[in-house]
Amino acid sequence: MLQIEQTNLLIQTTLTDKIFPEKDAKGYKSIDRIISDFDFTTYHISTLGEEKHLLLISIYLKCWDDLESYGVVKYLQDKYVQFEEALTILPSGDVENNYNYSFVLDLAKLEGQSDEYKQSVIDSLALLKRNCMAAPLEKAFARYDELAQQYANSNTYAEEIQAELQSEKVLVINYRGIDESIYIKPSFDRVTVIFSTIFQDETDKIFGKVFLQEFVDARKRSVQTAPQVLYSHKEPPLDIAHVVKSNNNTDADNKGYITFVLFPRHLVRGDKRENCITHIQVFRNYFHYHIKCSKAYMHSRMRFRVKEFLKILNRAKPENIDNDGSRIENRKTASGRRFAQ
Amino acid sequence: MASMGTPAVVMDNGTGLTKLGFAGNDSPSFVFPTAISTLSASSSKSSGNNAKSTGSFLSSKRGLEDLDFFIGNEALAAANGPNYNLSYPIRHGQIENWDHMERFWESSIFKYLRCEPEDHYFLLTEPPLNPPENRESVAEIMFESFNCAGLYIAVQAVLALAASWTSSKVSDRSLTGTVIDSGDGVTHVIPVAEGYVIGGAIKNIPLAGRDITLFIQSFLRDRGELDTSLQTAEKIKQQFCYVCPDIVKEFNKFDQYPQEKFAQYMVEYADKNRSKTVVDVGYERFLAPEIFFNPEICSSDFLTPLPTVVDQVIQASPIDVRKKLYKNIVLSGGSTMFKDFDRRLQRDLKTLVKERIELSERLSGGVKSSGVDVQVISHSRQRNAVWFGGSLLAQTSEFKSYSYTKQQYDEEGPNLVRNFSLFK
Amino acid sequence: MPALHSTFLSEQGADTRVIGNLAVLPIHSKYRGPSYPPQQDYDIIEETLDLFRANSFFKNFEIKGAADRLLIYGILFTSDCLSKLNKSITYKEAVRTLNNLALDSFALPGDIGFPLNSLYQSPANKNEAELLRSYLQQFRQELADRLLKRVYSDSEVVPSKHWLAFTRRRFMNKSL
Repeated sequence: MLQIEQTNLLIQTTLTDKIFPEKDAKGYKSIDRIISDFDFTTYHISTLGEEKHLLLISIYLKCWDDLESYGVVKYLQDKYVQFEEALTILPSGDVENNYNYSFVLDLAKLEGQSDEYKQSVIDSLALLKRNCMAAPLEKAFARYDELAQQYANSNTYAEEIQAELQSEKVLVINYRGIDESIYIKPSFDRVTVIFSTIFQDETDKIFGKVFLQEFVDARKRSVQTAPQVLYSHKEPPLDIAHVVKSNNNTDADNKGYITFVLFPRHLVRGDKRENCITHIQVFRNYFHYHIKCSKAYMHSRMRFRVKEFLKILNRAKPENIDNDGSRIENRKTASGRRFAQ
Repeated sequence: MASMGTPAVVMDNGTGLTKLGFAGNDSPSFVFPTAISTLSASSSKSSGNNAKSTGSFLSSKRGLEDLDFFIGNEALAAANGPNYNLSYPIRHGQIENWDHMERFWESSIFKYLRCEPEDHYFLLTEPPLNPPENRESVAEIMFESFNCAGLYIAVQAVLALAASWTSSKVSDRSLTGTVIDSGDGVTHVIPVAEGYVIGGAIKNIPLAGRDITLFIQSFLRDRGELDTSLQTAEKIKQQFCYVCPDIVKEFNKFDQYPQEKFAQYMVEYADKNRSKTVVDVGYERFLAPEIFFNPEICSSDFLTPLPTVVDQVIQASPIDVRKKLYKNIVLSGGSTMFKDFDRRLQRDLKTLVKERIELSERLSGGVKSSGVDVQVISHSRQRNAVWFGGSLLAQTSEFKSYSYTKQQYDEEGPNLVRNFSLFK
Repeated sequence: MPALHSTFLSEQGADTRVIGNLAVLPIHSKYRGPSYPPQQDYDIIEETLDLFRANSFFKNFEIKGAADRLLIYGILFTSDCLSKLNKSITYKEAVRTLNNLALDSFALPGDIGFPLNSLYQSPANKNEAELLRSYLQQFRQELADRLLKRVYSDSEVVPSKHWLAFTRRRFMNKSL
């Protein structure tokens, strides 16, 4: 498993069971399930009381407040409105307690639809978290479109324009609390996405460094079309220095900043842009997943080595050697008895 | 703590099946075989240059081979192809191959459960009499590879007892009882007193789900059915088998009411073009589960019936807990799911106990015994009882205080996990 | 619950005849032979057929008395009968085959060909041997007859495959 999938497998299987029931199943069964996703995301899928054909699907995201200020509600509305026959988006007042956003999926209404339609409902709900996180990126990309048009014909090296761009608002998403955030800064010819990440473990920090160095180098070596990646340790990049908040200084040592510079070729509208959003928002999980995998790999190497050493030790036997260095066999004690071999 | 809001992860890795899920749910989110298929050495030999022994194979890996593997049902599917080797990292309940197990968990956590282990507490299970070294190895992997926030390792039998609290027959929530845990490979009879397993009294029966399936298969073959595959036998076991009170009477019932008793199973194939095969289902309906009560009919070396084993186990336990052990016999695992399994076991066990009491009354010259209450408890969560018990415990507010955190591990090292405090 | 024993063990009174250590129990039969008609409807033949399927799974059997020995003989003979049948044989042919089998010459306890000689005593004298032979012949004919009625209870044309499946099972790992 090289990639981390975008879709939440568990939502997918749960909904598939519900929407494509086995032939001999009778009626709708009740369900009450908690499902989790990366970055403190929790879903809750439950049937609404006695009306077992109604599924309540709710999501909780740690950074919901940030997302909300970047227009996630509208974005999700646009995304899911195509399924409005079966899928009702609850107004913010009716959202399930402790959750941020809720849908009601009507299985009875879905029954009449084609299999493709059902499948696309499942698929897009399994991408719920991705869609939530996509809202600010989408917003930043839209801003890039604006800026690109605005400065299309002007001298972008002029100082006043540089200054204007410098003061462009940075979008901040504290997606894992205050220490780990995503900063997005649009400009006229690029969008800069900066991840701040923190390592709780000393070993992880070193692994992380090696990995990120590799990211930086990879572009030089082979993957020319990849976005530029910059890595800085402790010091936040200048772009975002004024917005970075840190709760205390002790953590600053473990903090790293990874900068992705997305160029216009990554931002072509349509599939490419979607793809770019999809991949960049799962970056941290991907990164930490691979740190863990390489630790697992190291462990298997270490186990193997220990086994080899043990084999050598087992073969080793003390030899009887006298002062001259030649082997003595059948040495006897004074009483004439032999040593046990 | 960063992980306050997230549900704990409950993982029950058994010999046959792994159950994965989150605490608070009533059933595991994933149930799949504890199998992993990895790239076989021969296929990488063609790509790599000097892969002579497995050792150099390991060190010659410079690519992403270590990430190329599948677990669960995908592993079974991949093993049908040419390049993958299938292996089962757990044997007889205990982890045998740590390399594979580590990667199995890797995939379970990231691919199936999709959670960042740093944000979650974990509840893992272990078989009774698991050596403490194995516990330490588990902790090493969970804390050092995955940096999981917190860890609790529970004994499967104790979790099965906790799961029985949902049954209406259970009046007091005690952790004293006898657990009969029958999965695919082995059946264990485990006495538990106040949350501690009485290790010396545990008995194993080498008959379990797989033997029942094979026994059914032998019936199908003897009758010359058109489909005698293991899958068909498995399906018949799940859909048609039940425990009867008396085999001879049951044979007569088949003669008298053939319409009701004989059944037919339709084998469906993934290939839609193949027409369905009809397999008749006969006496194996009640004879297959009968191997627990009459092992002789299927095995030639193990002859002690399950009720007798249970009785022996309880008799081998300390005298002051025996009454409680008789009163709280809890079933767990898929192979105890047969209809009326509990009633038959209770009846047979009662007979055994009654005989012994009568004997001792006679020998002691008329001293009356106060009687022993035998009760076998069957409940709706039986199939995944261990997992469900784990889910129950892990959602309590005290769970986190019983677990060890990453910080504690970093300070004290792996031998920390040799002892866990018990749930009250 | 180990293998089942004959219920006729307890009924051994003064009137029960025993040859060697094999009980000669009364049976209902339309065939000629030395057996008395029994008092109740249920006889050893019914019992043999009832217990056959259950007991044929067992390899160990503790003999508790003379009636058990007759039961064992019956079960082994039943198994012998089933092995002579096959899927396509009709009722009429089956009757003929089994009748031949029943009337065929067979070994008595004590004879060289008898498989259970370690458990059975031979008849004391020639008269007893004659009596035993004619009793067993009657027993075999009647057993074969009633067995076929059960095996062909559903259809006159094909035997029940559920019965035929027991051909491979060997009670006590023995066969006649």
